[in-house]
Amino acid sequence: MGRRLLPWLGLVPLAGLTILVLLPVLWMLSTSFQASEKMFQLTMEWIPAAWHPENYPNALHRAPFPLFFMNSVIVSMAVMAGNVVFCTLAGYGLAKFRFPGDRFALLAILSTLMLPLEVTLVPTFLIVHSLGWLNTYQGIFAPLLVDAFGIFLMRQFVLGVPSDYLEAARIDGAGELRILWRIVLPQCKPVLAVLALFAFRDSWDQFLWPLAVVSRDEYRTYPLGLVRFAEDYGNPQTEQMAVAVMATIPVFVLFLLLQRLLKRGFGLTGLKG
Amino acid sequence: MTTRRDFLRRTTVGAAAVGVLGVPAFGAAQGAPTRTPVKLTFWTWENPQQRPWLKKRIDQYTQQYPNVSVEFQYFAFSDLGKKVSVGYATGTAPDGYTTGDWLMPTWLTRKLIVPLDVQQLGYASLDAFRDDHAPAFVAGAIHEGKAYGYPLWFYGVLNHVNTKQFKEVGLDPVKDEPKTWEQLGEVAKRLTVKDGSKFTRQGFKWAMHASQWTAFQFNPILLQAGGQWFDKDGKCTVNNEAGVRAMTIRASMTKQYGAEDPADSLATAPVPWMDWLKERAAMFSAPPIGPQAIKPINPAMEAEGYYKAYLMPGVSDDKRYSTCYGFNCVINVHASKEKQDVLHHMYRFIMSDLLDCWKATAPLTLARKSGWTDYPEVKSTPNIQAILRAKDTGVFLPRTPVWSELADAMHRAVQKVTLANGDIKTALNEAAAEVDRATAELKKG
Amino acid sequence: MAFVLPALLFFVFFKYGPMGWAFWLSFTSYDMLSPPRLVGLANFAGLAGDPVFLQSLQNTLVYIVASTTLVTLVALLLALAVTTRVPGARVCMGGIFLTNVMPIIAVCLVWRFLLHPHGLVNQLLAPFGAGRIDWLTSDTTAMPAIVMVTVWRFAPYFMVVFVAALAAIPAEYYEAAAIDGTRGLNRFRYITLPLLLPQLFFVIVVAALLSARLFLMPYIITGGGPGGATRVLSMLIYETGFSYLKMGRAAAISVVLFGIVLALTLVQMKLFMRDEEA
Repeated sequence: MGRRLLPWLGLVPLAGLTILVLLPVLWMLSTSFQASEKMFQLTMEWIPAAWHPENYPNALHRAPFPLFFMNSVIVSMAVMAGNVVFCTLAGYGLAKFRFPGDRFALLAILSTLMLPLEVTLVPTFLIVHSLGWLNTYQGIFAPLLVDAFGIFLMRQFVLGVPSDYLEAARIDGAGELRILWRIVLPQCKPVLAVLALFAFRDSWDQFLWPLAVVSRDEYRTYPLGLVRFAEDYGNPQTEQMAVAVMATIPVFVLFLLLQRLLKRGFGLTGLKG
Repeated sequence: MTTRRDFLRRTTVGAAAVGVLGVPAFGAAQGAPTRTPVKLTFWTWENPQQRPWLKKRIDQYTQQYPNVSVEFQYFAFSDLGKKVSVGYATGTAPDGYTTGDWLMPTWLTRKLIVPLDVQQLGYASLDAFRDDHAPAFVAGAIHEGKAYGYPLWFYGVLNHVNTKQFKEVGLDPVKDEPKTWEQLGEVAKRLTVKDGSKFTRQGFKWAMHASQWTAFQFNPILLQAGGQWFDKDGKCTVNNEAGVRAMTIRASMTKQYGAEDPADSLATAPVPWMDWLKERAAMFSAPPIGPQAIKPINPAMEAEGYYKAYLMPGVSDDKRYSTCYGFNCVINVHASKEKQDVLHHMYRFIMSDLLDCWKATAPLTLARKSGWTDYPEVKSTPNIQAILRAKDTGVFLPRTPVWSELADAMHRAVQKVTLANGDIKTALNEAAAEVDRATAELKKG
Repeated sequence: MAFVLPALLFFVFFKYGPMGWAFWLSFTSYDMLSPPRLVGLANFAGLAGDPVFLQSLQNTLVYIVASTTLVTLVALLLALAVTTRVPGARVCMGGIFLTNVMPIIAVCLVWRFLLHPHGLVNQLLAPFGAGRIDWLTSDTTAMPAIVMVTVWRFAPYFMVVFVAALAAIPAEYYEAAAIDGTRGLNRFRYITLPLLLPQLFFVIVVAALLSARLFLMPYIITGGGPGGATRVLSMLIYETGFSYLKMGRAAAISVVLFGIVLALTLVQMKLFMRDEEA
């Protein structure tokens, strides 16, 4: 009897923790429906006394956010696709194949994460410029197509795939790509979901690189639009929050879609109860 | 090239409109510099009043001269300088752009902008150009006998007060205007409202949110106290006796008068005067704040008009001045001669209707002396007397290539003194050392 | 080997070239507006004698160690918490992940407000006798505040990684454990944890790399203050390069940061990769 009740008891601290963690998000949500004068009230009014849903259409009117969001979606989807393909290949290669210098290769790949973008901005920009890709979609997403983070992620997960299956398949005469496609990937659904989600999300938030590459509204991504929108003291800050809420949605939707793939193994792990 | 017809038009049309000679009017018959198609890029910073007006004027220009097309782009204020710098580094900088006067040394020392032909801008000579603007302002744009920037706006910093709160504590907004730093402290003390140790209302607030603000607010205090940023050898002297005196004044609001809580502020980069607007502070030092900035956040204040702007105080009541700063239009040295000519022509067109500019961007004052201050629309603007005086009597920011390092160093010093109760002399010594290091590196590099 | 080739080629083109250029730049003086000029080791020598750099260096080390440790721990705990049989745990996971999805500009705005001396955090702590804490303006609490926001923002990110890892543990292991009688904490210690090692390695390395590079959050929330208490190297690099227009110096600072992170990664690689020879 106590056994069945125990899981429900666990909900209280878990839900409490979740809400506590979510307070800033809830603040953002609540403020997005407030009148502009109510922003920054130190005594919180969590449920707005007067709802102002017009903040949302107003914000969309004041700046071409639909365009900016669409640009962000296009760029992020390209980055997601590129990462899923190339990071999987490279991660698999690093995990399951021993070749001279493979440790060094991993280090070399990780080293691309060790220099901040600010110092590599100018030469990267020159490369993109020489390809004629300023103010284009490919100019924004090209340098982001493969990220060492994704390669490392895939490597660590693929390490956990038992090599026996691969050996057996090779003895059977299967080609390497087939092994990857048929045997390895199906076991990697959770991490592929994570890879796709994170690649999309990391690109979604990018600010400095798009700022450098884009100087025209038609290719602006939403962070650039939002920062510029925020600079205008005529734009109610509550509308900024509305835009921020809207910006949260696509990544969250992606998370919800991919969450199913993370499901396996739930309830089998963790501590008692 | 000044033709006789142009000269006559300038003096008659201009004089008829405003009654002042020498206003560079823009006659409709004035031909464009070229008939061939020209494509230009022009970048500016985001401001809800200035940016749309610039865009409107440029659109009017391209309508009148359809062979010219302008790609107009704007960026957040702090991003514009970076975008332009990256642009120069990669050959993608715009043909024309706007810049703050404190950044002129950055462009000038590296010869990145072209010397302007003042005659194309409607002035007979450099002297005429100089005379039509506040001398100290254009001094920053004039180098070796040539002007490099075409002034747009420039304004002085004022003391903005909430007159309703003044009356609440028995102060008269006219008679009790704080003229000296001591008076400011005393008035602020009376305006302060506390609930235990928590400030419900601070009397006077200094900006703490960004280093540019710290620096421009400290600038006039330093100069009033008899100090200067650099000595004749280029060494930073902010830590001498005058500097200490200035910092003491700056810190006095918190330490001596107890009228300010430096840690308690809601200011953000786009709205630095948030505490004042939300009536958590009775007084705040800032450039002109007009109804368009007040209304979104405090509609009651705007509707009932219970705000007033004074000159900032001084060490004595006849030595009251504050910082003034402004913006220029400049032309990229890499732009072709044809583009340069068109840009001159366009800049002149933009600034040829000053009344329209005022209507759109009031109370942000214009750099030009003549041609607008007599309009009734200007004269009827609230606080206009103080706004104009602040601009006319203001002092400029140090025009140094290490401006950013200087601002950051001062910001740290102010934080150490006001937030961490640090020793003033020590904090200033550290700031001066930082600035000297930055200057030394510039020389080395 | 061939599998790794496309990625490596991509990196050669888009990454190693610019990285090499950045290394070369650290030996020059470059303001972006005129061509770079070689100055040898002058940038590095200048850094050694610069108190602002040294303070930033110290801040960075503290920040990396504190953030990495806490992010890893909290992420693991969160992952364990949301994968229990508690009903609604998956919903909670989604909710917690939202913190990572919120746009950074909103994050900074909210946290500056929440950490205000009279803001929500202090209001919540008041019943515990905390009194007024000037989170962002006191040099003792500013760095902890930034670490706290970092953990809040990134633990959910790595929680998802751990959740995926936990999802990948084959059921057979747990069945075997159940038969053996291994339960609870022992099960976690002897079965789950060892199987999580590859991801633990991943999380620690990547969390360290991220906290070394991260600068937008401290930049917007405290601006590096008060008095430089939260200025980390990545912020100093950004300011030095784009505000002060001293790109050569910024590159030199990046090289130092690179060295630190490389050293940390090598240590971790040694620690974790011993078992991989199997």
